[in-house]
Amino acid sequence: MGTISLKNISKSFGSTQVLNNLNVDINDGEFLTLVGPSGCGKSTLLRIIAGLEQQTSGDVLIDNKNVNRVRASERDLAMVFQSYALYPHLTVRRNLETPLRLRDYNAFERLPLIGNFSPSKKEKTESINQLVNKTSETLKISELLDRKPGQLSGGQRQRVALGRAMVREPVAFLMDEPLSNLDAALRVHMRSELSELHNSLKTTFVYVTHDQAEALTMSSRMAVMIDGNLLQLDTPQEVYDNPSSLSVAQFVGSPKINIFKGTSDSSGTVSFLNVNLKRKSSESNTDLHIGIRPEHLEITNESNENTFSGTVAYRENLGSDIFFHVNIEDGSNKIIVRGLPQFTHQISNGSSVNIKRVSDKALLFNQVGMRVQFTNA
Amino acid sequence: MHNSKAHIWFIAPAIILMIIILIFPLFLAGGISFTDYNLGNKTFEWVGLENYDKMFNRKTYVKMIWATATYVIVVVPISVVLGLCAAMLLNSLRFGADIYKTIFFLPVMATLLAMAIAWEFTLHPTLGIVNSFLANGCGGVREFILGFHWLPWVDSQESWYAVACANNMDFPYWLKQKNTAIWTVCFIGIWQAFGFNMVLYLAGLTSIPRELYQAAEMDGAKSTWEQFKLVTWPMLGPTTLFVVTITTIRTFQVFDTIEILTKGGPSKTTYVMMYAIFEKAIQQNLTSIGAAITVVFIGFILVLTFFQRYVIEKRVHY
Repeated sequence: MGTISLKNISKSFGSTQVLNNLNVDINDGEFLTLVGPSGCGKSTLLRIIAGLEQQTSGDVLIDNKNVNRVRASERDLAMVFQSYALYPHLTVRRNLETPLRLRDYNAFERLPLIGNFSPSKKEKTESINQLVNKTSETLKISELLDRKPGQLSGGQRQRVALGRAMVREPVAFLMDEPLSNLDAALRVHMRSELSELHNSLKTTFVYVTHDQAEALTMSSRMAVMIDGNLLQLDTPQEVYDNPSSLSVAQFVGSPKINIFKGTSDSSGTVSFLNVNLKRKSSESNTDLHIGIRPEHLEITNESNENTFSGTVAYRENLGSDIFFHVNIEDGSNKIIVRGLPQFTHQISNGSSVNIKRVSDKALLFNQVGMRVQFTNA
Repeated sequence: MHNSKAHIWFIAPAIILMIIILIFPLFLAGGISFTDYNLGNKTFEWVGLENYDKMFNRKTYVKMIWATATYVIVVVPISVVLGLCAAMLLNSLRFGADIYKTIFFLPVMATLLAMAIAWEFTLHPTLGIVNSFLANGCGGVREFILGFHWLPWVDSQESWYAVACANNMDFPYWLKQKNTAIWTVCFIGIWQAFGFNMVLYLAGLTSIPRELYQAAEMDGAKSTWEQFKLVTWPMLGPTTLFVVTITTIRTFQVFDTIEILTKGGPSKTTYVMMYAIFEKAIQQNLTSIGAAITVVFIGFILVLTFFQRYVIEKRVHY
């Protein structure tokens, strides 16, 4: 079992409040990502779960047991650090053995030389060796076992750090931005490896990242944190399609969601620029923010009441997609539109274009940034 | 490019200086050690290994080697361990660490000469504060603690403290007594050296990444001792190598305290090498024997340095 519950967790350093009354329930076997911009308190939250940091108030429950007073080494969690934190003086094998040696051997057996006289030590050593071999085979680091961390590349160190966490089958894995020190290609590759690892281990993963792409690709659920508040906790698809607030919508998704200033009239009908959405908001007679993702806008030849025009300021060609940064004519906004290369390759910087929205995809937010629903009528 | 001679101009001043003030005197001393030359003599004769033969057979020089060895073997480990302990204690303090740092570092900064004179007064058999402190403590807590009466196998009537109290305050004469002089000098040596070691270790401790301790904690290293074994001690390896090398060379060079406090006595128990060189070559004008001692001294230092450079260094850098 590996459920973790956080109940009303708050944390402040002096007068700075970094975590604000958070409630999270992490299910057994789940891959939960804590995602948010730098300084949002996600690492602090992870360290509170680990027991490396003490919360100011609130409870941490692991498998329904309150562990507020249990120190990190006794919570039976494993952590992968951003810097890997491998023991530089020990070989990879010894690094992997360390958590097992510290837990399985008793104090006498850990003594140098005379510890070997303990009758039970030989058996334990064998089981440790087996576990280390098994883990290193899973992670394909068997041929590195006799090297020291200093002789490994970043990706190899990352695997060793994972191995050190895996080797003793903990209740849950805590990972603090484990991929952020890798180069871009390896990072993308490790995403899929981590997901596979999670599928085969079926252990709870709590994963901290500032990279929304990692959160979207790997997690079963993601928790979006901003400024010490938990804004939304849901599946990646739901967070992307149905953000609860403007900040979440802006944080998740790359390139960023486009925000237009709009209004709703007395009947609740929403419009922005010259476009009428022909749908009604639940809040009438007010100013609204209208969010439309770049892939829900398209460049078109038509010019009618459903389109608006602008000038291409910058063309970002990614091969599979081209993103156009467009200045809208009234000068209020700079937006990003996705175009498919086969239709838009001839459009260059400075050309003026008409933009059409894909219907039913707009998101409404009120003045304070909270989500506003459309009424079905 | 490769044929340019410019580099010679850059290194020449350093090389010339090194030859004049370091290498040439060294070879000169080596040469003199095989003669009977004394400063001022117009002639000399080659005497082969006679000076060295004296050194290893005459009692004085055997005592010299003993005194030096005792001093180094006692002062180096104790001052290194104390320095490490003090550094770890200070590192764990939230406030007040600066005051302790200053106090412990004072002996390193202070003039050795003045400090030695202060120690001379402190340890004076009749006027010194140490012995008056001990005398006033007869029959009290001080006797219980310093006389080791708290150890089960020490007879409270027979301990050194009780005996001294009974014999009309016959406390040790510290620097003037054969069986205490070298230990007293060692104590002063430790007092001087450990502050410096502490500062070096403090620097070493701050460079250990905090995440390693957290990793150790997650891996199940519960006790401070386990964390010390797993993280602190190995990570301090390079610092320890440096500290041990520096301290060893400095203790080999001990001179000031000996010159002021004991002059090598009583009966040569504190006759360390540096003092012997000074006494023979300068005071008694026996240049050749002084040169021989110097050569042996340099030999010791060289062996030590090579050992540290080639044997230990490989084990502490990862």
